[in-house]
Order: sequence, then C-alpha cells, then structure tokens
Amino acid sequence: MRNFFVLFQKELRELLTLQILIPMLMVALVFSFVGRIIGTETKKIGAVQEITILDLDDTRTSRTVTGFLEENKFRVALYKDRTVEAVLEETGKSQSRGVIVIPAGFEENIGGYSSQEIQAYHVIQDFSIVGSMGAGEVNTALNAIRDYLSDYYLAARVPGVDLSVLKNPLVVKDYVRIGESTAAISPHEVIGFVQSQTMLLPVVLFIVMIYAGQMLVASVAAEKENKTLETLLSVPVSRRVLVFAKMAAAGLVALLMAVVYMVGFRYYMQGIMGGPLPDTTGVTTGTALQELGLVLTLPEYLLLGLTIFLSILCILVLALIAGAFAEDQKSAQGLMAPLIFLVMLPYFLVLFLDINNISPVFKYLIYAVPFSHPFMAAPNLFLQRHEIVFSGIIYQMVFFLVFVSLAARIFSSDRILTMKLRWKRKR
Amino acid sequence: MQKALVVENLQKSYGRLAALKGISFKVKAGEIFALIGPNGAGKTTALRIIATLLTPGGGDCYIYGLNLRREGGKIRRFISYLPEEAGAYKNLTGHGYLWFMAGFFTPDRKERKEFVATASQICGLKERLHDKIGSYSKGMTRRLLLARAVMTRPKLAILDEPTSGLDVINALEIRDQIRELTGSGRAVLLSSHNMLEIEYLSDRVAIIDKGIIHETGTPEELKEKYRARNLEEVFAEAVK
Repeated sequence: MRNFFVLFQKELRELLTLQILIPMLMVALVFSFVGRIIGTETKKIGAVQEITILDLDDTRTSRTVTGFLEENKFRVALYKDRTVEAVLEETGKSQSRGVIVIPAGFEENIGGYSSQEIQAYHVIQDFSIVGSMGAGEVNTALNAIRDYLSDYYLAARVPGVDLSVLKNPLVVKDYVRIGESTAAISPHEVIGFVQSQTMLLPVVLFIVMIYAGQMLVASVAAEKENKTLETLLSVPVSRRVLVFAKMAAAGLVALLMAVVYMVGFRYYMQGIMGGPLPDTTGVTTGTALQELGLVLTLPEYLLLGLTIFLSILCILVLALIAGAFAEDQKSAQGLMAPLIFLVMLPYFLVLFLDINNISPVFKYLIYAVPFSHPFMAAPNLFLQRHEIVFSGIIYQMVFFLVFVSLAARIFSSDRILTMKLRWKRKR
Repeated sequence: MQKALVVENLQKSYGRLAALKGISFKVKAGEIFALIGPNGAGKTTALRIIATLLTPGGGDCYIYGLNLRREGGKIRRFISYLPEEAGAYKNLTGHGYLWFMAGFFTPDRKERKEFVATASQICGLKERLHDKIGSYSKGMTRRLLLARAVMTRPKLAILDEPTSGLDVINALEIRDQIRELTGSGRAVLLSSHNMLEIEYLSDRVAIIDKGIIHETGTPEELKEKYRARNLEEVFAEAVK
C-alpha cells in the first residue's frame, strides 16, 4: 500500500501540471462565458419584440390593431405614406425582424367580415439559433392580430357567449403512462424534464472518458519515451501496484475534471435555457414525475454512479494497454483513436435512438462496448428497465477484470518493454 | 569470497533474433565486472535480464544466491539498475525525484531522508537539486540518475553505459563515484563500448559479441594473452 501511495503521489504531480490545469479551467470558463452571452442575447430577444407596421389604410381599425400590439409588449415602428421598399430599407438598419403591411381598404374588408390579405416581410439577419428565435416575431404579432380580429368577429356575431369557450371548446387533461405507472402530466413536461436530467451527464462523461484515456495513454507513452519506465520497473514495486496507481491517479484527475466541466456546463445550459435547469420541486409536476418513477431513488443514483465509475475504469484499463503498445507520445495519440471512436459511437447513438429498440445485431454490438452502458443507464432507469442496467454493470465488471488482468500480465512481462505495433506493411 | 552474481548459460531471443546464445560469468562481491562489446552485442539484454526487467529465455541467473526467475521481487530490493539513456520525470525537481525513488526502498522517513542526503552529496547538484529536472543538462541528469542508483547502497549496481554522451569532466566524476561504490563490498556490473573507461574501472572484463562471450579475465590478463597494448586491441582480436 505504501508503494501505491508513493507512485500515486508521483502520478498526480505528473498529471496535475499547469499545462493540464489551465486548459481544464479554461474549458469550464469558456462554457460558462458562452452560456452567459447566449443567455443575455436570448433575454434581449425575449424582452422586447420589435415589429414594423406600414399602415396604408390609416383608419380607426388599423390604428386599433397597432395599438393592440403596443399594449401586448410589442415595440411598434409605425410608417404611413411610404413604399414597402423604403420601409424595408429602414427596417434593415433597426432591430426589427419584420414588416407587416396593412393594405388600403383594411377597415372596409374587416367591417364586411371578409378575409383580408396582409403582407408579412420576415427580415432574416443571421442564421444562428439565437437569430432564428427572433425570426418568429412576425408570426407572433400576426397571431396576436388574428386573435384580436377573431374576437372582434365573434363578439359582433355571437354576442353573450364566452369567447374563450367558443374558440377552444376542448379542455384536454393530459396523462402520461410509463411502464405500469400513470400520472396527470403533459408528455412535453415529461420529455423536457427527462432531457434536462440526461442532457448534462453524457456530455461531461464523454469528455471525461476521452480525457482520462488520453492522459493515461500519454502517461505510459511518456514513461517509455523519456526512458523512465525501465528504472521504475527495476525498483521493488509490484507491477500490479504500478498499474493501479497509474489508473487511480488518472481516474482522480478525470473526476476533478468532471466536476469542473459539470459546473461550467451547468452555467452554459442555464445560459441557454434562460435560468436554472428544471427540477422536481414544483408540487404538481414533482408529484406526477414521482408517480411515473422519473425521480431517481438513492439506489438508482448508486447504480448510475457505479456504471459511470466502471466505464471510466474500462477506458483507463484499455488506455493503459494501448499505452503499452506506444513507443512515444505521438504514437500514443494514434492508439487512442479507436478508443475515442468506441466512446463516440454509443454517445451519438444514444442521443438519437433508444438502443433497446434497434435491430438485435446492432443492439448487441453496442452493448458489447462497455462505454455504452452509462449513456443508456439514465433513460433505462427512468423507464424502470433495471434489469438492463444490472446486466450492463455485470458486463462492465467482467470486462474490467479481464482487461485489468491482461494489463497486469503485460506490465509483469517482457512485453511492456518489447511490445509495439508495426504500422509498416510487410514486403 | 561470496558470489554477487552467477550467470549460467543465459539465453534470450526476440522472435527469430537470438540476442544471447548462452552466456556464463560470475561476479564477486566488491568487484567491478564489465561487459564490453559493440552495439547489438547483447550487453543491454544481459543487463536487463539481471535487473529483472526481462525474463530469461533459457539458462539461470542467481543474485546473492536468489534465483532470478523465482525471486525477482526480493532481488529488486538490493539491486539497482541505471539504464542507458535513462531519463527522469521532468516535472519533478531533482530532490523530488530522489525522494520519490527512495520511497520504494524504505518505509522509514528518517532512512528515506538519509538516502536523499547521500544522493544529494553524490550528484553534487547543490541548490540546482530544487529545480525541475526539465531544466537540467544531460550531464546533470546523468549525475542525478547515478546518485539515485547508488543512494540505497545496493549490493549489486547494474550500470548500462554509465558515462554515455557525457563530457570529459562529468564522465570522470561518474567514474570516480563508481570506483567508490565497491569500497564497502558491493558489486558493480557495467557495460560500455568505451574500452578506455572499462580498462580504468573494471576488475574483470567479459568480451561479448553477437550474444556470445568470447573472453573473460582481468584487463591485464587479456592484454597479456593477446599481446595487446590496450583493451581495444584485445577486443578486435577476440571477436575476429
């Protein structure tokens, strides 16, 4: 155990250098900074909705429509007696995202209960996600005008009736059923909640697994490249201890990284979503989510933690073996590429698919990758598929034990010094 | 006198390449024994096997009576190996490196400090010992590594090309330190293709080429046998 701590301390000193710590903090800060900027810009767009009206009718009705928009938090830029081209030119210089042209004869047509054609010009200034949020402003204004006019028609034609009932005769009470549980909640709320809970983890886990693997493979390769490995192997320390100390140090640094990234990424998500991430504290929503089994219990959190921990161990042991093949740090990066692919594959598939429902061949291929299981665990736990999570954990344990024995054998034999991959083709 | 090292018919192959074809020699306690030969002769392979890094393909090896195949863990406690072109951890200071390596040889903090103090004295790096190894010259790193190799007072020090790539002053200092090692009955096994160095340092020499030992004896015996003026001439004749 003493030798383990001697090695562990050295590994930590080697790994926790400024070259590692500064980029780690920078990534977290950049995440947070980007989230803040997006949040501020999103709020700006949401706070004030600017719309330009070219009123070619200039009657009481058209003025009422404009006034209605102003009452409903639209900042209206009003033009009369101008050409559409001239107004569009003006609009291009302002924050307004669109022009609604109220044609001449508008009041007359509305008064006659005829449908009225309105020209709507959508000014697209950029194609970013935040920019596209503003592109909907014209439609929001048009929907408000539609509502106002339909209320006007209905009030005139069907007096004494509750207009909200007339316009929306169905009151829908949503229920969601998951497994054998049913609760009164809308599917959008459920999907939104589950996505918010499962969004953060895979991204952070993805980064951490790749980073931890790269750190370890580079650490072993550096020992070979800097000719320190031979000295280390000749001192009275068990090769198993050497393997575990290297893995533990890389795992701990990866864990630290996970925490830093998690904090950074949380700020990023808060920025994007315009406030704290949704949780289960709302009384009605919380109860419904609990009824559906969507609030993880302590044992379920432990299962989730265990599968994450095992997947990190699996990538570490594979990285250690890859490092044993490396001659130097440059070749180590090449050896890490297949591992990165194995982490990316389940990560992207789980983002878009339920792996349990794809064809059996692909499903079992994905199951065979030990890093798939933590990505699938949270959705499986939400859907009460505990047996899949358990099987995954057992598989990860077996996988780790097999490969850690292999790593210990490699480090205990000549192979650690003599083994290398041959990239050149045989002639 | 007690045998520090007994090598019997030692063999090693890498695939089809036979690096050692059955070499045998003995090293007494208090003796400096050198393996000399050209690049690829099998010197480093022999030293790596004796340092417990590689497993022998055939034959046997005993260090202070312990069998290398079965008792490698015990052997590592009283041997020390300085590989050719060995490096040290660039992010550690010289002192940090010595402290780290000393930790494997003793659980006792006081003894660990003594090891580091011994090494500090041997390497002569003084205040530079607290700088990061990344800032050291090749000579400084080699002196640090040699100090590391001998600070634990190993019963057998295995030194592969100990002065390789060093300037004259650094090489002389290191040779002096190697000479001092055997004063208290410790054995040194070293390899080099610098014949002058070997002649100056070694009590006995084995000439190895293509995995075979051609001659063993003191430098004087070998020079007399081959009627040569120095070991270089002996070597040229022996491997002809």
